[in-house]
Amino acid sequence: MRAFLILCQKELRSFFLSPLAYVLLGLFIFLNGWYFATLVEAMRSSVSTRSLIYNYFDSGWFWMGYFILFPLITMRLFAEEKKLGTLEGLFTAPVRTIEVILAKYVATVILYVVLILPIFGFFALFQKITGEGAAFHQGAFWGSGLALLLIGLFNIAIGTFASAVTANQIVAAMMTFVGVMLHYFIGFLHQFLTTPGSMWTSTLTYFSTIEHMHAFTDGLIDTRPIVYYLTFSSLLIFFTYQVLEFRKWRT
Amino acid sequence: MIHVDRLTKRYAGRTAVDAISFDVEQGEIVGFLGPNGAGKSTTLRMLTCFLSASEGTATVAGHDIFRESIEVRRHVGYMPENVPLYTDMRVIEYLRFRGRIKGLGWRECRKAVDEAMDICALNEVQRKLIGTLSKGYRQRVGLADALVNKPDLLILDEPTNGLDPNQIRQVRELIRHLGERHTILISTHILHEVEMTCGRVIIIDRGSIKASDTPQNLVRRLTEAGKISLQVKAKPERVIAEALKLSGIRSVDLVEAGSDWSEFEIRTDAHADPREELFTLATEKEWPLRELTRHRASLEDAFVEVTSEG
Repeated sequence: MRAFLILCQKELRSFFLSPLAYVLLGLFIFLNGWYFATLVEAMRSSVSTRSLIYNYFDSGWFWMGYFILFPLITMRLFAEEKKLGTLEGLFTAPVRTIEVILAKYVATVILYVVLILPIFGFFALFQKITGEGAAFHQGAFWGSGLALLLIGLFNIAIGTFASAVTANQIVAAMMTFVGVMLHYFIGFLHQFLTTPGSMWTSTLTYFSTIEHMHAFTDGLIDTRPIVYYLTFSSLLIFFTYQVLEFRKWRT
Repeated sequence: MIHVDRLTKRYAGRTAVDAISFDVEQGEIVGFLGPNGAGKSTTLRMLTCFLSASEGTATVAGHDIFRESIEVRRHVGYMPENVPLYTDMRVIEYLRFRGRIKGLGWRECRKAVDEAMDICALNEVQRKLIGTLSKGYRQRVGLADALVNKPDLLILDEPTNGLDPNQIRQVRELIRHLGERHTILISTHILHEVEMTCGRVIIIDRGSIKASDTPQNLVRRLTEAGKISLQVKAKPERVIAEALKLSGIRSVDLVEAGSDWSEFEIRTDAHADPREELFTLATEKEWPLRELTRHRASLEDAFVEVTSEG
């Protein structure tokens, strides 16, 4: 636990003492701010039965910018240490491999939360300025926050794993991006691969990020996606552990 | 301090380290010597628990490297080859971070880092980014990192690699100084370094140990046949014939035959020193003599002899 906290602190330090976090934060706020303004404009000119938050997270415009985030924040985690050779110093210090992995993972999750927090700032600010209670309700606000956190946990786990596999940050970034996008697209497969109402449709819907998001932005806290994202994140962390331990046995 | 028992490491059908066994006692400075690719780094990485052995075991400070790896790591200060460091951290930040993950308390760590920086003469660069430091300073940061938690054992992988002669001397002095308090295992392929600093040498080649002794003994034992240079003004054939009659001389070779001076290389039996007889011979025969030198065998000769056979 002690080593975990020290390592986590060190990771956070290298995020926030380098320009990376601020550049990302700036760009992400700009991108989302623009999208938010456009969305509000669009909702003013055409009537929507859905809430602002539902519409915000329903569009591919949001997800595109969002998925770019993961390769950028996870690619350096292990790949950089492998390239520099500092992994050797790290793993010959009296710390457990799992502590190292969790420290890096949790630090990245904290960075991620800082990065997406402004979006919820927009919603809160909009609510305050317009006083428009009908734009969304409390459930949508907190539900979407929770959903975004879960999806983030899962995608950061993909990135952590990819970064542990290679010593090349670009390769890690590409693997993460492909992994993250593939998972997102699986959620759309049921729309054109299967006949509506078949077993496949309902199975594929379980993997659909956008469907999960719909439930949560309606203010519905569904436990299935919670279990889904947490188990898959744990599995990927477990794989990361195996990959890093494999180094010792590689022949 | 270290007990290694038939430690083996195989990579993809190649045996990098082949069932080596050796011991290092408390307080020793042991040099781990071998040509590049001999398995030095692999052995050190197994001892520091970075790699696992394919076969065999070792204990460091009484702890098994496989079963009690965290305990082993607590007792070892390790400086990897080429000294990998976080280039985006300041020296003092880095050392404090390393001290903390090695289990030092906050206050204790500050003190330990100050001491380590004193020992390694890093005070003037403590606020600099590691990325901007010269190779010599980085090496010293690596050394300070290895000794920050005052480990019983220091394992240094090629500590003077890539340094200029002055820096090599400084690092060597530092190692000798550290040897007063720590047990040290250093790997190197630079013979001079071992001769200067180590109490004992283990020579490793192609994954197995070829010799293990003090540098002096190795020189004595491994280069049994001594070599003498002789320059006299006489007919070469006569010199060879007469010299071979003396006891303790194995062979006499003509190196250079000038118009009047001739130079010979004489190989002698183990520990024999027939220089006096050669001098007497020359005066008896009235050959003018201008050189009679016995070459001292160096560790380099021993190293070449041990690692080049087969």
